[in-house]
Amino acid sequence: MLVLKTLTRGSNHGYGIAQHIERVSNDALRIGEGSLYPALQRLLIRKWVSAEWSTSDTGRKIRLYTITPAGKKQLASEEKDFEITIAGIVRVMEGA
Amino acid sequence: MSFWNELDDEMRAHREMLEEQFVLQGMSREEAAAAARKHFGNQLGAMEESRDQWRFAWLDGIMRDVRFAWRLIRSQPVLTLTAVIVAALGVGANTAIVSVMETVMLKPLGLRDTSRIYRATVRIDKIHMDHMTTSAVEFKDIHAMKDVFRNVAAAQGELWTLQSGSEPVRVSGQAVTDEFFRVFDEKPLAGRFFVPEDHDCLVFSYPFWKSQFGADPGIIGKTIVLDSKPYRVIGVANEDFRFPAKVDAWRALYISPERFAKRGYDMRLTVLGRLNDNVTAERATDRLNRYVAGFKATPAGREMDDYRYFIDLDTFSHFISGDLRRPLLLLWGAALALLLTACANIAVLLLSRTAGRRKEIAIRLSLGATRVQILRQLAIESLLLGGIGGALGIGVSAAAIAFIGRAAIPGKSLLALVRLDWRLMAFGMALSLGCGLVFGLAPAIQLLRRSQATAMTRAGRHRFQDTFIAAQVAAALVLLIATGLLLRSLWSIERINPGFDASNLTTALFNAPPNDAGFFDRLEASLASQPGIESSTIAYPLPFNGFGGLTSGFFIKGRPQPKTEVTWHGEAWLVSPRFFDTLRIPLLRGRFLNSSDMKSAPRVCLIDRKFAERFFPDENPIGQEINMYGDCRIVGVVGNIRTVTLDQESRPGVYYATDQQEGFELRGVIVRSRIPAGPAIRAAVRQASPQTPVFGIQSMDDLIGESLGIRRAIATLVCVFAGICILLAAIGLHGVVTQIVGERSGEIAVRMALGAQPSSILTQFLRYGLRSGFIGVICGLGLSIYAQRALGNLLYDVKPFDPATFAEACAGIALVLLVAVVWPARRASRTDPHAVLRHE
Repeated sequence: MLVLKTLTRGSNHGYGIAQHIERVSNDALRIGEGSLYPALQRLLIRKWVSAEWSTSDTGRKIRLYTITPAGKKQLASEEKDFEITIAGIVRVMEGA
Repeated sequence: MSFWNELDDEMRAHREMLEEQFVLQGMSREEAAAAARKHFGNQLGAMEESRDQWRFAWLDGIMRDVRFAWRLIRSQPVLTLTAVIVAALGVGANTAIVSVMETVMLKPLGLRDTSRIYRATVRIDKIHMDHMTTSAVEFKDIHAMKDVFRNVAAAQGELWTLQSGSEPVRVSGQAVTDEFFRVFDEKPLAGRFFVPEDHDCLVFSYPFWKSQFGADPGIIGKTIVLDSKPYRVIGVANEDFRFPAKVDAWRALYISPERFAKRGYDMRLTVLGRLNDNVTAERATDRLNRYVAGFKATPAGREMDDYRYFIDLDTFSHFISGDLRRPLLLLWGAALALLLTACANIAVLLLSRTAGRRKEIAIRLSLGATRVQILRQLAIESLLLGGIGGALGIGVSAAAIAFIGRAAIPGKSLLALVRLDWRLMAFGMALSLGCGLVFGLAPAIQLLRRSQATAMTRAGRHRFQDTFIAAQVAAALVLLIATGLLLRSLWSIERINPGFDASNLTTALFNAPPNDAGFFDRLEASLASQPGIESSTIAYPLPFNGFGGLTSGFFIKGRPQPKTEVTWHGEAWLVSPRFFDTLRIPLLRGRFLNSSDMKSAPRVCLIDRKFAERFFPDENPIGQEINMYGDCRIVGVVGNIRTVTLDQESRPGVYYATDQQEGFELRGVIVRSRIPAGPAIRAAVRQASPQTPVFGIQSMDDLIGESLGIRRAIATLVCVFAGICILLAAIGLHGVVTQIVGERSGEIAVRMALGAQPSSILTQFLRYGLRSGFIGVICGLGLSIYAQRALGNLLYDVKPFDPATFAEACAGIALVLLVAVVWPARRASRTDPHAVLRHE
């Protein structure tokens, strides 16, 4: 979900995705490369993201990931589930 | 770019970007590289995990299991080899038998969809004849039944001579009516098939077209000469169309109007019909019954009613397989018994190995392997063994089929067509894998379930092994008893004297050249002049040709045939005067035929003793006249001979002089000589007529052997199966006892150290080992009594419950089992207690 959300801001490479998640979450969420790349492969298999090779501003060969329409749909449904879950958790925590 | 490289590139880029970030934060290059590596973590792990997202992880696991199983199998070559060979024998025997059954019974002759093809046959109860070919009248009437039969064709076998080059070639042909190929839904490979207007036209079979004309398409439309008569070649049939099995060519059959005139005469036509799509066999039979009943109600049909005449509908596979059906089912039963033994044997083998691996399995379980994983691994081992066994088994069956194709039994032309195709190979493989899985895994599951209670496990395993051993012994005993009964029957039959001296006789067949009156005299003269030939005769048919003499009804002059009795029938033989001399058949009364019995002389015949005893019990047959093929005076009585098979008594026989009977074309020669007479016969026939082909040169012993062929083949195969079974049972029992002795070596050592005699140790294990064998023998005896029925008419002069055979079989198997047990038991009794106890 986090990866998909990051990609809604535009295509990005693996490093960029990791950096973005780290930065936005104020280092609270540090996504390990050991799980980032398998996760990306999973998204590729389900066709929620597409990938293509390109060259970065610094002239490095990188692989850019782009969210697909199917991925956006998936993200929307995941976000909804997440909101419901979080709302539930918040209510439980406040009520305690 | 491969997936692997892509991932590597991508991750390197990531790491480099991390590095640059660290450099910006003020680290040195080296520090940054180290920090990036640290930050990134285990690149290889990440890569592998990424890859695993794409692959099925379980496939990997299976590959690992296969490799492990393969190592394990190779580490125990003796056990593996035994299991694989055992499986191969069981599977091979079954696949071979099922292949034969497939060709002979299920899919006769490889023809497409024969389930709607039926053969109309005549049955005349009064003379005990059935499944007979019909006369033209029945064909015409059945052909008219368009409401039930879509197509109806008649066929009759013929033999032609083709002059090609210097050597005359015998052509085995069929004369068929125009709808013949439509009955089989066949399309021509080249040219066309017959239409009703065709006369003197020929369709080649594919093998004949290839062997005689080099598959030359240009032959179509040309004319070839068979028996000095021109035929136009109009087409070639497909390669897989082979009915009858060894046909060379079909010609258009023209049935002359006079043949349609009288029912019950000239009954030579095989009538084949294909049912209409919506018609069942019952409806067609019903239609035929109504037709026969309607015909019998007419004045002309009254006579047929007296004869109790009917028309039956045979399935095509019955027509093709006929007598082979029962022996094949019997053999299949034997092959299944063999397979059962093989499976039980493999189970015992694998069980003992699995037991040895209990420790390994326990370790794996405690290290976190799930039961499913353990089972999967055991299953893969079983499948691997089964697969190797199956592959070898297919090889065995291929060899067996090649052997069957060469076997000397009647109907062998049919067996030569048996092929091992991919479906049968798949059957064999599935059989092997299935058996491997069931018999390898079932005991293992049992073992695993009880892996906690060690003592229980051992008892449970032994119960399993006992059961399997008993099953093997039972199957082996059933086969052994069957073998004994079959061999006894065969021996009693082979001791039967056929009534003539069959040694040193050679037979051959030839087509007499048409319109050549002097041919037979010339042939007799040239045969007599050949060196090495002691005596020779011309005869038709030949004894042991598979059918016996020409079955014909007759009257006795001056004696009315009683209405209540079955019509008198005898077997007619056309022979030249030296027949009796050559075959050494004794004269009992009167005289032999001699050279004065020529065409112009009064017609005479000889009868055999059976004929004389049956029809002239109280009077002198010499001088009486009988009418079979015209009036003939009886001039002599000769001894009986057997002519169909040794175990079958012939019907009353009548011998006619070849010179005095006409209308029988095919003749045979019988020659008595001390040297192989084939070349001499060929030379003699060529001398008499260069255009006449000679074929079917065989010794009389071989002909008689061929008539026993099916018995011999079954006895041999059942004997081989029984031998393998006993061997397997012995190996199994030996293995189990050896294993138990090994397991209990400590106990034995203690007992011996405490003063037990070696003999008591020996008897203990003997008793243990023979117990399951004994149970097997009891079960086998019970099964045998039930299975006897399958042998049916294959038994001759042996009671189904022949006590001697039963006793011999039991004794034989007991002896083999005893040897199998004594071996390891003796080793147990010689245990050196010091060595064992010190080792412990």
